[in-house]
Amino acid sequence: MKTKMDFPSINERKPEGQGAGGEAYKVLIVDDSMFVKKQISQILTSEGFEVVGTAGDGLEGLEKYKELYPNVDFVTMDITMPKMDGISSLEKILEFDKDAKVIMVSALGKQDLVKKALMIGAKNYIVKPLDRVKVLERVLQSIK
Amino acid sequence: MRVEYINPFVEAAFDILKEVLGDDVQRGELYLKSTSKSVMGVAAFVGLAGNVEGRVLFDMSMETALAIASEMNGETLTVLDDLGKATITELANMITAQAVTKLHDLGFVFDLTPPAIFTGENMEITDNEVEALIVPVITKQGKIEINVAVRERT
Repeated sequence: MKTKMDFPSINERKPEGQGAGGEAYKVLIVDDSMFVKKQISQILTSEGFEVVGTAGDGLEGLEKYKELYPNVDFVTMDITMPKMDGISSLEKILEFDKDAKVIMVSALGKQDLVKKALMIGAKNYIVKPLDRVKVLERVLQSIK
Repeated sequence: MRVEYINPFVEAAFDILKEVLGDDVQRGELYLKSTSKSVMGVAAFVGLAGNVEGRVLFDMSMETALAIASEMNGETLTVLDDLGKATITELANMITAQAVTKLHDLGFVFDLTPPAIFTGENMEITDNEVEALIVPVITKQGKIEINVAVRERT
């Protein structure tokens, strides 16, 4: 019986979510929607990224970032959340780590808030509904 | 109630539903209700407050809600659990966020409440002194009624 080993590996490629040495990029997902957290998590883990933490609001996101640092490569950050919104959380994360890579996740129609986040220092943004290809493209642009 | 209030919601619903459920989305006939209106079983409710005020309801049967949540999650949900409710909430969020941008561009300024999900049988909604405009949207997963009751604040 032929096994996988009998075939040439021309179709094999390294997952995008792994660095040169094969180590997974680590992400913290901050979003108050269980659905969006699950969606982002599925897209990223399917490409080899490692979800090292999730948070349901901006304040928890900030605390988790501090707790995980430096073992976190980037953050996906919702904008509208209870307790602390994504923009304030972004500001505070950047105060703590000026090199933090934060990618904003926003519903269409929040352009002004997205612009504000980019001015403050967010690396990129993703618009909902989430499209797998666009999510991966924006994430990779931001971390590489 | 002015039709211009509902159009952005219908357009946004079309855009978002096509994106998350596929292209098979059709619009039914718009109708008006000035009295109580029964609610189908699962309703996402978003309040508006500003120089216009009122509410938007995304109303659907439990079967439709489950089919939509299943499609959006890529797995079959048999009960509307926390994930199912979060999915319908997010759908309402995406639609209202896009509609609000269009309304802001038309000069209407208002804030939104986070969506709340109501589930149950034999529910009805009554809007005092505000007529509700309703647009049914037919998807492969079932019918969603976009029910908008908004007026200018006096």
